[in-house]
Amino acid sequence: MSATTLHLDLPELPEAAEQLRREVRAFVAEERAAGHLPPPEKIGLGFDVATTKRIAAKGWIGLTWPKQYGGGERTALERYVMNEELLAAALPVGAHWVADRQSGPVLLKFGSETQKAFYLPKIVAGDCYFCIGMSEPESGSDLASLKARAEKVEGGWRINGRKIWTTNAHRVHYMIALVRTSTVEGSRHAGLSQLIVDLTLPGVTISPIISMAGEHDFNEVLMEDVFVPDDALIGQEGNGWNQVSAELAYERSGPERWLSSFRLISELIDTLGPDARPSSLEELGRLLSHLLALRQLSMSVASMIQRGLSPNLEAAIVKDLGTKFEQEAVRVVRNIVSSEDLTANGRNARLRGLLAHAQVYAPAFTIRGGTNEILRGIIARGIGLR
Amino acid sequence: MSENRAFFRETVERILADTLDQNAIEATERRAFPAALYAALAENGVTQMLVPEDKGGIGADIGDAVAILRAMGAAAAPGPIVETLLGYKLLAEAGIDPVEGLIALAFAEDGATTLHDLPWGGLADHILIVTPTGLRLSAAADWTVTPSLDAADEPRDTLTNGPTSPVTPCDTSAALRTAAILRAGQILGAIEWTLARSIDYAGERKQFGREISKFQVIQQMLAELADHMLASAVLTEAAAESLTTPMIAAARSRLGDAADAAITTAHQVHGAMGFSREYALNHRTRRLMAWRDDYDSVLAWRRALAGAFVGCTREGFWPAVSDAGLRAAG
Repeated sequence: MSATTLHLDLPELPEAAEQLRREVRAFVAEERAAGHLPPPEKIGLGFDVATTKRIAAKGWIGLTWPKQYGGGERTALERYVMNEELLAAALPVGAHWVADRQSGPVLLKFGSETQKAFYLPKIVAGDCYFCIGMSEPESGSDLASLKARAEKVEGGWRINGRKIWTTNAHRVHYMIALVRTSTVEGSRHAGLSQLIVDLTLPGVTISPIISMAGEHDFNEVLMEDVFVPDDALIGQEGNGWNQVSAELAYERSGPERWLSSFRLISELIDTLGPDARPSSLEELGRLLSHLLALRQLSMSVASMIQRGLSPNLEAAIVKDLGTKFEQEAVRVVRNIVSSEDLTANGRNARLRGLLAHAQVYAPAFTIRGGTNEILRGIIARGIGLR
Repeated sequence: MSENRAFFRETVERILADTLDQNAIEATERRAFPAALYAALAENGVTQMLVPEDKGGIGADIGDAVAILRAMGAAAAPGPIVETLLGYKLLAEAGIDPVEGLIALAFAEDGATTLHDLPWGGLADHILIVTPTGLRLSAAADWTVTPSLDAADEPRDTLTNGPTSPVTPCDTSAALRTAAILRAGQILGAIEWTLARSIDYAGERKQFGREISKFQVIQQMLAELADHMLASAVLTEAAAESLTTPMIAAARSRLGDAADAAITTAHQVHGAMGFSREYALNHRTRRLMAWRDDYDSVLAWRRALAGAFVGCTREGFWPAVSDAGLRAAG
């Protein structure tokens, strides 16, 4: 790979995707009318089991998965269109998000037949949620240095260790934990494995971590002599690093990387009205050009996934650009609010509240799911620099 | 996408390899027209590629033209290529008889008799002016030329005392959008070359006993430039297919940021070497400076893009965004 091969094909959205877009918009309108959208001053993926159940009833969880596990056997581009519509409307899709985006696809790719038959239909029904157990107190960007261990015992594995920043661990059913199961001389990446941990098991202690935005999304998950059976192992013992790497294209390229603060821009546009100053239009136009570019990038990556490719380089680029865009959006909205004097004297409380929340939320954008500096290291390798 | 696109691009890349080297680029900096390049382009039908087939052209689409302009931008090819491609297309579509020779293309007000900073104005045979009411074609010999140069040292002449020629109706805003997306192809090509050369240079240049590509700070800079390149490439390609105002405006706005980043990062990675006239980088970066604000400035396109969305309600904004790439009716 080098700069000369860094190229994405333009996807053509099939008619089925546009049909699905109309269905999702109708659903969003119903949800809005029924008052099911989250409070207007909040950004981020809301967590709401009732919303997840209504989305599941539409058949929209596991949309691309095989029918034998309850999936819809639709294309990755259709899934992309569904997700951008749900996220742009800020529907609280957080309960099933990780299972649908990441855990399910990992099970489909590496899991045993028993695992697939057990977990996937429950995920599709909106009854089974997952979280990601990767980071540890001493292992953030340097993930391969992780210390949580699973030791082989009769009939299964005994896990000891501590996972941190596990989003939603306090309200989901399972965690896929990346742990060390063997030591291989000369390789830090070998000897890691993925294990499914039922979060209700004895020995699991979940403690809240309150974010600087004042919210409880993160947790620390302590595992003390937690026993999981043999069939909790996903794929091959020792192959965890490769399996995790395969997940990352799903995690990094989706529209949630540039739509999580979208309602802030919508609110600004609504408040601003048609008569904006030229300088505001210039700032806003620049921001919108980045938004439209990200949308094209995300669609192109979805079409690569559709064709069975693993666009890890391109996905890293989407996340680097998308998360910087989200921080830039906060800066641009703040500047336009100030220059147009939109929120003085208690006016436009909704925009004011949303901006206040987005501002304290924004530092997380370029950290969660891998810092941008680490992503740029991946990009640098992809273009032949290291 | 047109099935001939790869063929068009290969043809132009071969012509560029045969007719353009650094000496030829530098010769144009002394107001010399790159005649060999344009003769080969004309001979292969490239200059007529946007003219409809029933008018004697190839009838290629805008996306095809953008693909060959990327190759020309990467090669720092000088000359009025956008003006030639678009000029012949506009004349043919307006039913004006074909002309022989070089066309300079101006966007100006009705009745303008002074044209400022007109690319290749003083070396052209014909002056084609796109005004709000239509096209005006005149002989270049009927104008008084005050020569000047742009950042790439290509001609940007001021023409005065022009004739008032008859007006033939045309879709003026479509002409401006087409000029903007064609220029976008050249800008993108120059950015792509600049990124690729900078990556290669970082692997060749050694300091502190190792290639500078081994330093994280260089890796981070070039990764960000790769971000810019890919984002503006997908947007330019999408805009060249949809041809809607929001998409073309978005492409030109995004390319403005990418061009700024390409100039800054490539020169920083190259150090003093890139600042020399002898090293090939400056031919691309000076063209990026010259092209970035052509056929409406980056800021004008940003105002146009935002203007397409202000006035939306909070619920109406997203549908407007997701429909921005859909081809306008008619």
